[in-house]
Amino acid sequence: MPPSAPAAAVPAPGGAASRRLSSRRIADLVSHAYIWLCLLVFVMPFSALLVYSFTGPGGTYAIENFQYVLGSFGENLWWSFRIAGLTLFLDLVIALPAAYAIVRYPFPGKRLLFSAITLPLYVPGAVIGISLVLTYNFTYHLTTSIWGLVLAMTVGSFPLMLTPIVVALKDLPLVFEEAAECLGATRWQTFRRIVFPLIGPGVSAGLMLSFIIVFNEYLVTLFVHPTGITTAPLRVFNLIRTAGLAPTTAALAVTMQLISFAAVLLFFKIFGTRYLRGTYLI
Amino acid sequence: MSTVRLAALTKHFGPTVAVQEFDLDVADGEFVTLLGPSGCGKTTTLRMLAGLIEPTSGRIWFDAEDVTYLPPRARNIGFVFQTPALFPHLSVADNIAFGLSVKGKKKDVVGPRVEEMLALVGLPGYGARLPAQMSGGQQQRVALARVLATDPRVLLFDEPLSALDRNLRDTLKYSILDLQRRTGKTAIYVTHDQSEAFAISDRIVVMNGGKAEQIGTQTDIYLQPRTQFVAEFIGANNGLPGTVTGREGSGDDARTIVAAAGLTLRCRSRAELAVGDDVVVYLRPENLVVLNDGEDGRFENVVEGKIERVIFEGPTAQLRVDVGGRELRADVSGGRRLTLIEGRGKVRLGFDDVTLIRAPRGAAQAPAPAPLS
Repeated sequence: MPPSAPAAAVPAPGGAASRRLSSRRIADLVSHAYIWLCLLVFVMPFSALLVYSFTGPGGTYAIENFQYVLGSFGENLWWSFRIAGLTLFLDLVIALPAAYAIVRYPFPGKRLLFSAITLPLYVPGAVIGISLVLTYNFTYHLTTSIWGLVLAMTVGSFPLMLTPIVVALKDLPLVFEEAAECLGATRWQTFRRIVFPLIGPGVSAGLMLSFIIVFNEYLVTLFVHPTGITTAPLRVFNLIRTAGLAPTTAALAVTMQLISFAAVLLFFKIFGTRYLRGTYLI
Repeated sequence: MSTVRLAALTKHFGPTVAVQEFDLDVADGEFVTLLGPSGCGKTTTLRMLAGLIEPTSGRIWFDAEDVTYLPPRARNIGFVFQTPALFPHLSVADNIAFGLSVKGKKKDVVGPRVEEMLALVGLPGYGARLPAQMSGGQQQRVALARVLATDPRVLLFDEPLSALDRNLRDTLKYSILDLQRRTGKTAIYVTHDQSEAFAISDRIVVMNGGKAEQIGTQTDIYLQPRTQFVAEFIGANNGLPGTVTGREGSGDDARTIVAAAGLTLRCRSRAELAVGDDVVVYLRPENLVVLNDGEDGRFENVVEGKIERVIFEGPTAQLRVDVGGRELRADVSGGRRLTLIEGRGKVRLGFDDVTLIRAPRGAAQAPAPAPLS
């Protein structure tokens, strides 16, 4: 065998390897570029708003817009938080037993009921608004209190709370509840100590989704808000409608975005790691 | 620490009858196994004992207390599931403490009890771990500790070893038996695995179609199966449909003569069988002995057949022998003699032990299958 034969054989596979490597590098570059493009497309409008919110009189830079948010819009933000808090509480109190009944007990018309409950997800906000105005005016006379607004928000956001809890419960094997009951736990103890912690991820997902929807809802609020209660998103809407787009309004809009963004971050921070670790989900 | 009594226990799921008129008496401290194929109603029976499902009719007593309609929490039972079912968000110690803490026991009582239970199941020092950090066998041990911590009246096991691998199953089944003996608890164990049932039970209930086919010790159900199902489900058996043709002798020498598959067989007499009755003849493969020349006189029954197949299994080998058009299985030891037998082609099989079971009406036309497992 000539000595050059093995030497000639070696570079060939080496060359093939480097060719494979470079084609992989190109694929990497393309996929990264795509991701950044997506990011740009989605984030662009928000950055435009952000820049505009810092615009002072005569095109100068101004931080005062944000001081104005806490001053003039503080009350609106406070209403939004109060309404979101009450709504989430109501949502949870109704959704937990409802989800348990839907998943664990057979009853006639279950699918129909579940579809009916989730109806607000598919119905335009304006339609919900009109329905609520009619209902409140003719039946409950709720249009003058904060509860009218809270109930309206509950109707709209309840499916978002219910669905993740239903999904989490469906994924939870029945055997944990059976084991707890055989060990002497009452139904309430079983729910509080076993079921609730194990469906925690579903509950927190429901809380997050509902908060974001309720906190940012303006259309339904527009229909049923009592005089004297103006939530932050409604204020943004009103200002743009009457006075056009002012930098201070943009500052309020940015603040609301940051609050929603913080809610999502908080969710992943609290429930994304510590809470899920050690459960059957991971 | 309690006797268990089931009386005419019945469960219907819609039109299906899962358990039918089931009667059972379990003595204090006894280990009883419900053995049967899937769908025989054994798990349904166990879940009714636990109170996880309500019977359609019938009664359940623990000692003198009627517990038929009590919820699980009021029964003071220990239920070990197919999966360990440890609460994944609680530590091993908190899992074991769960049954005590829901009953409001103080921490200074619970702590030592948890340590005691961990030591009992051979896992001292594992209390701080999460279930996910333990192996399947360890988890099932913790599940045992968890039920024993509450000092239950009755231990109920629903195929607790079926999710584990074979070696672990073998060791853990003796651990379960050992724990049951040491604590003196009455235990009811459900399984479809015969070797498991035979290894750990005081008595076995063979179930089929929602009914108890036979209740007895291991030797009872293996040597004296009372129904066709038991004869065919427990161990391997050769089944031949036949008819009683005569009787002879008396006392211990009384014999029933049966014609089956072209053979005439002499069997130990069964008084309730009359001439003309249809029966199924069962021959255990290990009772069929391959005869050398001149050994025919040692056995009451001798048949001749052709070796169709030899399946070598290590310690033993199965001979599949064609006797008058029917295949019989005979088990022989796997030693050097096997090669000699294999070379012959034809063999003579001798046997004394024959089990006769009355064939159900109308079964004479449709011969019973010969299950050769």
